[in-house]
Amino acid sequence: MTSVLTRMVSRALLAPTLVVAAAILVKGYGDVGDGFAAGIVAALGILLQFLAFGRDEVAAALPVRHARSVALFGLSVGVAVFAAPLVLGGAPLEHWPPATQTPVQIGSLELITAVVFDVGVFLLVLGSAVTIIDVLTAAGEDGR
Amino acid sequence: MNLLFALVIGVLFGSGVFLLLKPDLFRVVAGLVLISNAANLTLMASGLTRGLAPIGRAAGDERVADPLVQAMTLTALVIGFAVTALLLGLSVSVYRSRHSVDLDELSRQQAADAVRREAREAPHDEEHELDESDEQRVAYHEAPT
Amino acid sequence: MPRRSRSQHLGVSASAGGAVACACAASATFLGGWLAGGAGIDVPWAPTWDLRLAFELDGLAALYGLLAAGIGVLVFVYASAYVPRHLADQGRSRREEARLHAAMVLFLVSMLGLTTAQDLILLFVFWDLTAVASWLLIGFDRRNRDARLSALMALLVTAISAVLMLIGILMLRVEYATTQLPELFAVARPSTTVSAAVGLIAVAALAKSAQVPFHFWLPRAMAAPTPVSAYLHSAAMVAAGVFLLSRIHPLIALDADLLDGLLVVGFASMAVGGVLALAADGLKRLLAYSTISQYGYVVTMLGVGGSSGAAAASFYVLAHALAKSALFMTAGTVTAATGAKSLRDTGGLARAMPLLAIASAAAVAAIAALPLTIGFFKDELFFKAALERGDVVAALAVAGAALTFAYMMRFWSGIFLGAPRAAPQPVERRLVWPVVLLAGLVLIGGIVVAPFAGLARDAAAATHAGAVKLDVAYHLDARAENLMALAAYTLGLLVLALRPVLEASLGLVERVGNRFGPERAYGVSLRGLNRISDRLHAVEVRDLRARVAAVIVPAAVLVAVGVAFTPTAGSYRIGNVLAADAPLVATLAVCALAAVAVTAPRRHLSLALTLSAVGFALATAYSLMDAPDVALVAVLIETIFALLFVGVFALLPGDVLRREAQLRVHRSRTVRDIVVATLSGVVTMLVVWAAFSRPQPDAAMAERHLELADDAHGKDVVTVILADFRGLDTLVEVTVVAVAMIGVSMLLALRARA
Repeated sequence: MTSVLTRMVSRALLAPTLVVAAAILVKGYGDVGDGFAAGIVAALGILLQFLAFGRDEVAAALPVRHARSVALFGLSVGVAVFAAPLVLGGAPLEHWPPATQTPVQIGSLELITAVVFDVGVFLLVLGSAVTIIDVLTAAGEDGR
Repeated sequence: MNLLFALVIGVLFGSGVFLLLKPDLFRVVAGLVLISNAANLTLMASGLTRGLAPIGRAAGDERVADPLVQAMTLTALVIGFAVTALLLGLSVSVYRSRHSVDLDELSRQQAADAVRREAREAPHDEEHELDESDEQRVAYHEAPT
Repeated sequence: MPRRSRSQHLGVSASAGGAVACACAASATFLGGWLAGGAGIDVPWAPTWDLRLAFELDGLAALYGLLAAGIGVLVFVYASAYVPRHLADQGRSRREEARLHAAMVLFLVSMLGLTTAQDLILLFVFWDLTAVASWLLIGFDRRNRDARLSALMALLVTAISAVLMLIGILMLRVEYATTQLPELFAVARPSTTVSAAVGLIAVAALAKSAQVPFHFWLPRAMAAPTPVSAYLHSAAMVAAGVFLLSRIHPLIALDADLLDGLLVVGFASMAVGGVLALAADGLKRLLAYSTISQYGYVVTMLGVGGSSGAAAASFYVLAHALAKSALFMTAGTVTAATGAKSLRDTGGLARAMPLLAIASAAAVAAIAALPLTIGFFKDELFFKAALERGDVVAALAVAGAALTFAYMMRFWSGIFLGAPRAAPQPVERRLVWPVVLLAGLVLIGGIVVAPFAGLARDAAAATHAGAVKLDVAYHLDARAENLMALAAYTLGLLVLALRPVLEASLGLVERVGNRFGPERAYGVSLRGLNRISDRLHAVEVRDLRARVAAVIVPAAVLVAVGVAFTPTAGSYRIGNVLAADAPLVATLAVCALAAVAVTAPRRHLSLALTLSAVGFALATAYSLMDAPDVALVAVLIETIFALLFVGVFALLPGDVLRREAQLRVHRSRTVRDIVVATLSGVVTMLVVWAAFSRPQPDAAMAERHLELADDAHGKDVVTVILADFRGLDTLVEVTVVAVAMIGVSMLLALRARA
């Protein structure tokens, strides 16, 4: 069992980690980072919880069991962004708006379909990493 | 710089191969991680230009680092991550079913298993829809030993 | 076989209903399409290779498609009653029924695709799909070793010959730059290449139709449940072979030698199948030999070629498929009712099962070509085509028909006449009325033959690539066809009467065939391959690591030789090291040292830590190379790796790892490992060095990407490349991640279920 301090710090760190992940994701097009980095950061935050609290407690507190669906949802978002222009008569993975238009900006977030693609990547990586961590931990606890 | 990169890549690769030849499954995984590190560094080092980070620069700026190799390395890193996770999972599951992560021991176990399975696979037809029971049909059912 | 003690009436399962519905829909579509005069779909598939998803419902497709779908309806209905009994007999769960129906529908769909495909590559895909589906179906009794081996045999014979077909297709493609059948028909001229290519395709077709010398798989395939035999081995799977021959017949007809070859194979199959059917005792086995023989007729007629050959072949396939599936189902029903599987154990069932007796009598009469059934016309056309080819062919045709007559009579009289051997149990009506319906069709065809003839004529038009005259009618005069038919009946009766005398020699023929026939060759080659694979496997398994070395060392040597023989002028430039690069040099040095250090530690924990030291050093190097994106991801991945490795090591029991850590490695082994590692490291270094020395620095690349990134509304060029320019790479990459996730979950979840 981990010490009280570790557990406290871990719990306190979860929310900031997720915020950092969101920031990396949103700023990805303008600054360092992308959906993948954001996904790993978020997954690290959750891995920390696994280390501090153990699998059972995390499973009770966080929706870990849905990680697989999140990952597959992310993949389908990616595929959708890939395939949607095909349906609309364009080249696959053609992004909107085109070069001639200026995209709408909300703060540093630009509304372009590439960002949606990145969100798909983020969800997939987050879901996969959490699933892998979950399954490996479960296996290890079994093996004892 | 060319020689230096090549040297480091060579060392990474050589160490990886050395681990790959070990009997311990986890060392084999570590060897593969080293080899994929060597590949990533190769990709990164093959950039045509070195210079400033390719973020927020306007065209015509002073020399900028080749962004294409960076993107490719990123892809390679991610795939390396997935593959290594899979290898770790594989090793753990091998351990769980065989209670060993020693390749030599696993080989011996598997050979023994194969012999046992062959012995068990003697013809045991529950019923024949064919009316003939020609002996030579059995001929190629028999496992060579 | 365990006799059924109770006669239960089992309901129709949902999967059976679904299968019947599929078959009904398919039949309706094909019938509608044919009546409407054809239909087609044509969409690009892989445009760079000029492949198209081209389907066309022409006469040939209508004939074979309607047979597959229409007989499919009846067989699926039959199966809905038969399979639950079959499963109950073997003590298996009824849920397995769904597996059979799914495979049946898969087979139906691939058969329909096959019949309509207009592109040879597409045709090949469906061809192999039918082989896979038939493997699933023949091997349905998984626990029965015989069924498994028979399924494998059918798969190997048809799939390996399919490879020949692919080679033939590719030869045609190289020659004429197309695999579209209509285009090929238009441009193909007689040449050696075309003959060779078409010959290869024909071999595959003959193997699928179980023609000599590939016939041996079909009797073995009778290990399948009876509905499967009734479907695959009368109307569909074996018919696919002659279908392919009909489909590419315009190409075959370019070479008279190929036609003669078909003639020879056809007559050989007629003879072999006929004689073995006369000797056979098992109900389904007899029918299987009969199928070989009947498709021998069809191949013969395709070998005769021309308008009359094409007409006779199409009509024969139609008539035979209707009658033969009825007979297979009869055999299944007899077995279900009495438990008997061979003529030895059956007899005198006419009184107990009158309806079945009458219905199967009609089917038998059709195959034996008696008047008032559709079968009479099939032989009329057959004799007519044979006469056109010459007297020898005509004489052989009569002999073949006589054999057919003899074994068909033997089949029916053996089951339904004579002294009753066993009292039959009552059976579901669904086991009888599909037979009755087919018999009804056979009889209707004997009187109102026009619709059947129309279907066959349209099919023959596609085979012959031109209009075909096909008239069938009863002629009450002494024309040659009628005389030949009479001669065949008389000879057939004679053979039947002489059979007891011939019994011994028939048995001898069968035994000789088994000992020296092609099946023996199959067995020997399979055993040989098995032995080689076992040897290889034993070597591999004995020392896996030595194998790894055995792959790495020759590869390294080869590459080293390549490096040694490459001109070196200008390569191997050392490159400048600037003062500003000092931190990078230091980091790389750390990285190299750490990499060497990874090989040293005994304890797994230290291993994990040194490994992540390498990773973090590399991440630092990336950041010093002005790649912040890469560095960020590298750091994150290394962190998660470190945690995963440590976590796995911490969670696994210590003793296993400790034992591994304390394992003493033999000194010679260590030396060998070091040599191999050094060798591969040096070679890698040389290759990488040479590669790095070649390209000239070029700033235009980065410039161009910067401009493009502006158009894509992005400032971080690397992210823009990932999400936009090379988005497909990224999509594939994340798919890999998803697959890895699924893989890990499956691997580790297996235990939870076990």
